Amino acid sequence: MSTATLEAPAKSPMSTSVSETPARTRATNRTIKVSIKRQASPESKAATETFEIPYRPNMNITSLLGEIALNPTTVTGVDTTPISYDANCLEEICGSCAMLINGKAMMACSALVDKLMGPNGDGAITLAPLSKFPVVRDLAVDRSVLFENLKKVKAWVPIDGTYDLGPAPRQFPQVQEQRYPLSNCISCTICMEVCPQFNEATGFVGAATIAQAKLFNMDPAGAVLKPDRLRALAGDGGVQECSFSQNCVQACPKQLPLTEAISDMGRDVFVQQVKDFFTR
Amino acid sequence: MATAAPPAPASNPTLRGVQPLRAGQGHSYFWRRLHSLTGLIPIGGFLIEHILSNYEAVNGPLAYAQQVKFLNGLPLVRVLEWAFIFIPLLYHALYGVFIAIRGRSNVNVYPWAGNWSYYMQRVTGYIAFAYIVQHVWRQRFSGVSLPEHPGAAFAKVQHELHNPWMLAIYVIAMVATCWHFAYGVWLFAAKWGITPGEKARRNFGYACAAVGTGLCALGLVGMYAFINPKYANAPADVMPEQQPGIVLPAPSVAPPNSVNPSAAIRN
Amino acid sequence: MAAATTPRIIVVGGGLAGLSAVIKIAEAGGKVDLFSIVPVKRSHSVCAQGGINAAKNLKGEGDDVLKHFDDTVYGGDFLANQTPVKQMTAQGPAIIDLLDRMGVPFNRTPEGLLDFRRFGGTLYHRTAFAGATAGQQLLYALDEQVRRYESEGKVTKYEGWEFMSAVLGSKGEARGICAMNLRSMETQTFPCDAVIICTGGNGAIFGKSTNSVVCTGSAQSALYQQGAYYANGEFIQVHPTAIPGEDKLRLMSESARGEGGRVWVPRDKLDKRAAASIPEGDRWYFLEERYPKYGNLVPRDIATREIFKVVYEDEMGIDGQPMVYLDVSHLSPERQNKLEGILEIYEKFVGDDPRKVPMKIFPGVHYTMGGLWVDFEQQTNIPGVFAAGEADYSIHGANRLGANSLLSCIYGGFVAGPNAMAYAKALPAQEGDGGHAAELARQKQKNQALLNNKGTQNPFKIWRELGETMTKHATIVRYNPGLDEADAKIVELLDRYRDVNLSDKSQWANTSFAFTRQLYNMLEMARLMVKGARLRDESRGAHYKPDFPNREDKEFLKTTKASFVDGAPKITFEEVDTSFIAPRPRVYTSS
Repeated sequence: MSTATLEAPAKSPMSTSVSETPARTRATNRTIKVSIKRQASPESKAATETFEIPYRPNMNITSLLGEIALNPTTVTGVDTTPISYDANCLEEICGSCAMLINGKAMMACSALVDKLMGPNGDGAITLAPLSKFPVVRDLAVDRSVLFENLKKVKAWVPIDGTYDLGPAPRQFPQVQEQRYPLSNCISCTICMEVCPQFNEATGFVGAATIAQAKLFNMDPAGAVLKPDRLRALAGDGGVQECSFSQNCVQACPKQLPLTEAISDMGRDVFVQQVKDFFTR
Repeated sequence: MATAAPPAPASNPTLRGVQPLRAGQGHSYFWRRLHSLTGLIPIGGFLIEHILSNYEAVNGPLAYAQQVKFLNGLPLVRVLEWAFIFIPLLYHALYGVFIAIRGRSNVNVYPWAGNWSYYMQRVTGYIAFAYIVQHVWRQRFSGVSLPEHPGAAFAKVQHELHNPWMLAIYVIAMVATCWHFAYGVWLFAAKWGITPGEKARRNFGYACAAVGTGLCALGLVGMYAFINPKYANAPADVMPEQQPGIVLPAPSVAPPNSVNPSAAIRN
Repeated sequence: MAAATTPRIIVVGGGLAGLSAVIKIAEAGGKVDLFSIVPVKRSHSVCAQGGINAAKNLKGEGDDVLKHFDDTVYGGDFLANQTPVKQMTAQGPAIIDLLDRMGVPFNRTPEGLLDFRRFGGTLYHRTAFAGATAGQQLLYALDEQVRRYESEGKVTKYEGWEFMSAVLGSKGEARGICAMNLRSMETQTFPCDAVIICTGGNGAIFGKSTNSVVCTGSAQSALYQQGAYYANGEFIQVHPTAIPGEDKLRLMSESARGEGGRVWVPRDKLDKRAAASIPEGDRWYFLEERYPKYGNLVPRDIATREIFKVVYEDEMGIDGQPMVYLDVSHLSPERQNKLEGILEIYEKFVGDDPRKVPMKIFPGVHYTMGGLWVDFEQQTNIPGVFAAGEADYSIHGANRLGANSLLSCIYGGFVAGPNAMAYAKALPAQEGDGGHAAELARQKQKNQALLNNKGTQNPFKIWRELGETMTKHATIVRYNPGLDEADAKIVELLDRYRDVNLSDKSQWANTSFAFTRQLYNMLEMARLMVKGARLRDESRGAHYKPDFPNREDKEFLKTTKASFVDGAPKITFEEVDTSFIAPRPRVYTSS
């Protein structure tokens, strides 16, 4: 989805009579140069287009893309199309807008232009789609593999039904404090993008899914599927493919304890495999 | 009444790109974990033994020869050598290459410490592999056969290390191998869930770094013994030939021209 | 006939309401097709922060569901029909228990029970929460249950498809939907026996709001244009505390105040000191001063108006800017910890650490109280079209209480799902093709017209102007001349829309094409909202007209129902169900 931007809260009729507050952020003559790797369809060739956008303070990458939609003309004056990209909440919680910003995987909504432009404000910005996922168009990629993986590890609590069965078992705050951070995963797939092991050769499942398996193994009722999840994670592309580059935990915008989850799952998977070897 | 619905078109067209987890299928888990384990036991164990044994060279050609002889005198030594050194090493090396070629290092984009270590583990793995191939060939399977002539060991190595190129290769390989081993131990603990916590991993990292550095230092000091002018021009053989299955007592008198201090003390 | 085949239900929208409905239907053995513009895990429900209300009374305060019922009706200024509100509040505790069983990591007390925090418009600790990301946690829990049903083949997801319209049979009943694939851009109809619309709010009509990009209200508007009533459109919640931003207004949850956060401005408007260094005595805690009982936790409409007055009437905004302080810097680290999610958002997007310095906030458009008109079974006036969640108008009346939305979404889905099943089972066979061919042709024609248009108007510019107009005239304070101006402006924009030019005419993942189609629906929706506000000459809840400052129950204790007649909104009024609690004046200044 593309989105355009509005100025700071428009004044109400009251305000016009009462005060003259400088609600509008002042535009300067500075501009921002953005080069964007574009691709019209999954099959077509990629090409780079460069845009020049008037600078305003506190802009983020999604507002830059919104500005381009308002006036889709390249720096050389060629009329083009608005950029396709995924975005929804714009506050780094829906996980949609992951892309490569200056080569690095980041969330476009929380990537602030002032920071990207460097201390002198003269840096350039490049945007490209995530490199490990099939491009749909421009900056939009298909990340459905993550949702498929969540199915494979049965990332859910198999409740009996939605009818009223009273409260869940009590849970000490310490358990909640361990589970909550894992439950903050926004499925942005940045941990997968930055992982050297996540690629077509290994078919690695990626840190996000492993962390979710741990989350549900820790739930008192979710633990009923723990052996299933651990067996799934011992399949090709499972936890063993992790080589502990630890990029995931560095790049995760939500600071999930991903390496800890991988480590824990590594142990649990091993124990399960040994158990299975002797009992199945 | 329900409408007879036509089959829904696939909402998710066939996935391209990285495929989903093959839950519970395949055997890569076993092979990958075996690779991890062989790196520690027996290869890691052998590496320690090897470096410690080589350190005997510090005590001169005869002491070194005695160590070589002792090792070759172990029961079923050929079986041990193949079962616990050559085969695991070959597996670890080949599967390691398989792992390395399937990774897509991106340290150029994300130059973080862990990522550098990931990259270095592969680089050092390649170095160690190439080195070990030539090392095993030149020192074990060609030239004087050391199992039969343990007394020739010191001179054989000394001859090798007098070539400055070879010396450089040995030094690089020593550093690379020790790094590969120490980081491998750290990885082992992390991946097998022995050190899941951030703190545990950090502390264990220090421990591994200390062990790796220590091991490397031992190895380099041991190596220096061969080029130490003190032992220059060591005799070609300091022991009689060892017959298979027969273990001769070690000579108690140093051969003529020997400067072996330990032998001198025994006298 | 019916009995042999499984009822087939289409749910549009994969937020809390949609997923709740899906779960109920799948559990009852129905087949569900779930349509969503974004992968359902990225739905706007994920943005809810504070928590979910239910009178579990685990804090020894003597809370009960009837008090929750009363708070909700009172908070909504008696505009909500009371029967569904009563049912919802009664089901609240069971819904919390269910979510707990689904694995939602709710915060806990040392004894291992659910922890509750205070929220606006009540004096009880009634809000269960998971840090400051309750919506995310709840959405994920339901998403996981639906993924489970999906893997069992009971649910088919159509993610990346946008609802265009309902397919209506010969008697005007739902027989399917028409949807567009946002990648291949193909438009297609899908048969079903009943549709449940759970497409959320319409914040995008105001340009910048706290809503997500997909919250355009397009689906509701399309149905309104097909004959559905749209109710209470003029009731829009402006949240008192949002972070002003370049591309959107980011919500700063009420839980910040629930955990003890305080709203203030310097007593001296020329005070240039850094906020943290201003001594207590020089701070004006205007909410606490004016509402000693509820303090910072007055309902949102009231807090919003107070902030607005402080800024624009008293001219006391920070540095003369439209901003006031929301301060959590005095809270203990444990309390701040419970707010981690939202404090991080502030730190990330503003750059200051709210644990140390007060946050600068201003009200922002937040929630759509109005929505598709539904009966107590959540069915719209189009047979077979149900609605639930923010997309329907029930429950919240003239103002929503914080942390009631998550409850109303789940409740709505839980009612709509089984009712849609029951309806589907009793549905007679369709005549002919059920109207599929005709609807498909109509939508394709609209697409073609848009693609072939050779106009000059940039749709994003039209949208920007719409947002500016709506924000200026139809948010916190409303005047009839301003509303007339807004309507004229929207008519002008509708006219310019006819001259719209797509810079992108491709037929693959064309987001501006999809947006332009939504834009038309936004414009039609905006008109009915403005019209409703224009006709309601009173002040009630979030609807505030300085020229008509009082609530006028005699004339306006009524639901506004807009219908699309001859291309324009036609407003009628309907009596409100007040069968349990007699309306009384809504005063939060004293008890």
